[in-house]
Amino acid sequence: MSLPVIEARRDRRPPIIAPGHTFETVTDRISRVVLRRGTPRGWIVGFALSFSLMMVLFYATAVLLFRGIGVWGINIPVAWGFDIVNFVWWIGIGHAGTLISAILLLLKQEWRTSINRFAEAMTLFAVACAGLYPVLHLGRPWLAYWLFPYPNTMSMWPQFRSPLIWDVFAVSTYLTVSLLFWFVGLIPDFATLRDRSASRVGRATYGMLAMGWRGSAQHWHRYETAYLLLAGLATPLVVSVHTIVSFDFAVSVIPGWHATILPPYFVAGAIYSGFAMVMTLAIPIRKFYGLEDFITMRHLDNMARVMLATGLIVAYGYMMETFMAWYGGNPYESFMVLNRFSGPYWPQYWLLITCNVILPQVLWFKRLRTSIPALFGVSLIVNLGMWLERYIIIVVSLHRDFLPSSWGMYAGTIYDWSMLFGSMGLFLTLLFLFIRYLPMISIFEMRTLVPGAHVEEEAP
Amino acid sequence: MRRPPIYGLLAEFDTPTELVTAARKARAEGYRVMDAYSPFPIEELAEALHFHDRRLPLVVLLGGLFGGVAGYALEYWTSVIDYPLNVGGRPLHSWPAFIPVTFETTVLCAALSAVLGMLALNGLPMPYHPVFNVPRFALASRDQFFLCIEATDPHFDRVITRRFLERLDPLSVSEVDH
Amino acid sequence: MPQVFHRSTNTFSRVSIFGALFFIAGATYGLALINRSAYVTEAGVAREQPIQFSHRHHAGELGIDCRYCHTTVERTASAGMPATQTCMNCHAQIWVESPMLEPVRASYRTDTSIRWARVHDLPDYVYFNHSIHVQKGIGCATCHGRVDRMNLTWQEASLQMEWCLDCHRAPERYVRPRAEVFNMAWEPPSNQLEVGRELVHEYKIQSLTDCYTCHR
Repeated sequence: MSLPVIEARRDRRPPIIAPGHTFETVTDRISRVVLRRGTPRGWIVGFALSFSLMMVLFYATAVLLFRGIGVWGINIPVAWGFDIVNFVWWIGIGHAGTLISAILLLLKQEWRTSINRFAEAMTLFAVACAGLYPVLHLGRPWLAYWLFPYPNTMSMWPQFRSPLIWDVFAVSTYLTVSLLFWFVGLIPDFATLRDRSASRVGRATYGMLAMGWRGSAQHWHRYETAYLLLAGLATPLVVSVHTIVSFDFAVSVIPGWHATILPPYFVAGAIYSGFAMVMTLAIPIRKFYGLEDFITMRHLDNMARVMLATGLIVAYGYMMETFMAWYGGNPYESFMVLNRFSGPYWPQYWLLITCNVILPQVLWFKRLRTSIPALFGVSLIVNLGMWLERYIIIVVSLHRDFLPSSWGMYAGTIYDWSMLFGSMGLFLTLLFLFIRYLPMISIFEMRTLVPGAHVEEEAP
Repeated sequence: MRRPPIYGLLAEFDTPTELVTAARKARAEGYRVMDAYSPFPIEELAEALHFHDRRLPLVVLLGGLFGGVAGYALEYWTSVIDYPLNVGGRPLHSWPAFIPVTFETTVLCAALSAVLGMLALNGLPMPYHPVFNVPRFALASRDQFFLCIEATDPHFDRVITRRFLERLDPLSVSEVDH
Repeated sequence: MPQVFHRSTNTFSRVSIFGALFFIAGATYGLALINRSAYVTEAGVAREQPIQFSHRHHAGELGIDCRYCHTTVERTASAGMPATQTCMNCHAQIWVESPMLEPVRASYRTDTSIRWARVHDLPDYVYFNHSIHVQKGIGCATCHGRVDRMNLTWQEASLQMEWCLDCHRAPERYVRPRAEVFNMAWEPPSNQLEVGRELVHEYKIQSLTDCYTCHR
């Protein structure tokens, strides 16, 4: 029989859960992070730093509200600057969560289990950071609800032929569905925490959130159906969100924006940056909380492969933009490309190519794919590269368009930079709260990976 | 119908295989009103209990259809009937431009009906439930597996059912108070 | 023991979830009502003035034409507020001793304007022109109400954009013959829509819902 050969082949890869784990060790190891008495000092230090950074964001926002968006570097012709760059960057990062949860679930990739909860939380927080920027960009953010269709005293409705309104619907739907997906996944784990918490407050809080989940077979049956349906719905949704974000650009007539390649290349870029961010966060967290048994080298290796693949799609996108500028014969398009290569923003462009195309090629080598420092370095580089990509797309296209008389230059001000780093503070603050108070790995799904989880049918 | 003195009898098992076997045997013995509790979904269990509920996908389909129709209708009504606005001479009913929002409202309503439908069909939220009265049941969310034969089952008898459950070799059998 | 909650929490949690839905719907509806109420729009609230001037007395009982005081209503954007001289045309001869009119006489003596409290105040981003409305057959009373029955004047309409658009989207419902514009007591005929459509055609009233009609 050829069966042993197949077994041997499979065993060469690291397992998705370290051997020797049982239902109770999985449950206790993950819930201990939340239920332990006292908070680790490392957490307090990290939280304090993130919280301080978040205060920088709040300060910059307060200045913005008092003095208006003139404190930003945006101008005419570059009317979109850091705000939209950061928006697209964050929303791109927010794509990995749903991708890991939904698409990998439908593809029956079991390794997703130990990173999905964490990636979903990251998605929510990234989308929250992303949503901040277009709202503040409105100028009068307190009127942001005007974007939604409701019977108002102006007798007016949103302009449904505009991609900016599609964006409102796409981002708010994505946030809502991601939240639902995350919450539904948490319900059985809330029940675990309810039953294991030592404090009255903990039992009551987690008990309320668990809504009386008791693991009934009928409940599990409907739960699994709902979870699968949600995954099926979230899969086209996640693709639609960045497609619609790319429409903000592609539907306009600006050279460098008006291209049919934009939607697929934006989606690939989103997954690229999302996986990079999951990696950036997962590596220190698994180390700090000793979760190497659950987030194994297999996970890091798989994520590195996804990054390599999506990175190549992104590189193909850059190539096609350049090719179409030459092949399309449009002088404005070819000028835009030359302006990227050798215009005033050439350092940013070549840094982008280095970060996003050249350096990640090291992931071809297995030795580097299994080296934690190398993976951590590449993930940081890709995060930077993807931010630069949006900077190049937005700023370089706008600063020199059709009329040389209206050309201009753009640079972020201190407030732009404080909002960028401040939003990282917001993101990390939420993330720290999440890992302290909620199980960062899906406990009930991890139980299904334990060897004893399968029902052994008696021989007939 | 008078309320029986207890809610049911709860047997505890150590592995999913034992639970599924016990559920099958209870079913074969003629018990119908029962439920099994496990710390993670077990596909074979719903089958062993002959539990089939196909309503949820229908709820989601209807929710999605509602969302799609409502989204498109909103766009049509606002752009063509209530607030016709000439933008560069483009047709008021620009249906291709209405597709993204229609898609988003479809997904939104379908997802909401999936979650709310699942909770409603499961009768959640239900923070109080009789099975929680059994102290050992705290392990149902950790590593133990439970089968509960409820007292409303026509075959239920406090003594006979208990004897039957004890024959299944459980870790423990306890009475569940209301 | 995993039983954390009392039996009553089942009812309580369901009621609170349903209740929250109704609460949110009710609060939204309440906000919409407040937004359209006199509290926000100040419609129907009589404005205190430095002098107790009564339109009811002057325009209603005495029958003075609107244009006697608001002289530029047919020719310019603003209807015009009367100079103190206009008041003194009559009040130099009647009620000359009335203490109520002392501020008018003071204004006349010292050559300073009376500081009336403005009743109808549109936002600065709205361009409004009285003369075009008067020329196209929109009566004073259509927007200002029965001023001839007001003691202290109040703002009759909400002045919210939905109120403007109500007429701009279908002027045939409100337009009247030019001759009746200053007639406070004019009532629309039973066949207003029919007559209105003819008047819209006759007065060449154009599509009025472009943004730049009012926001210039």
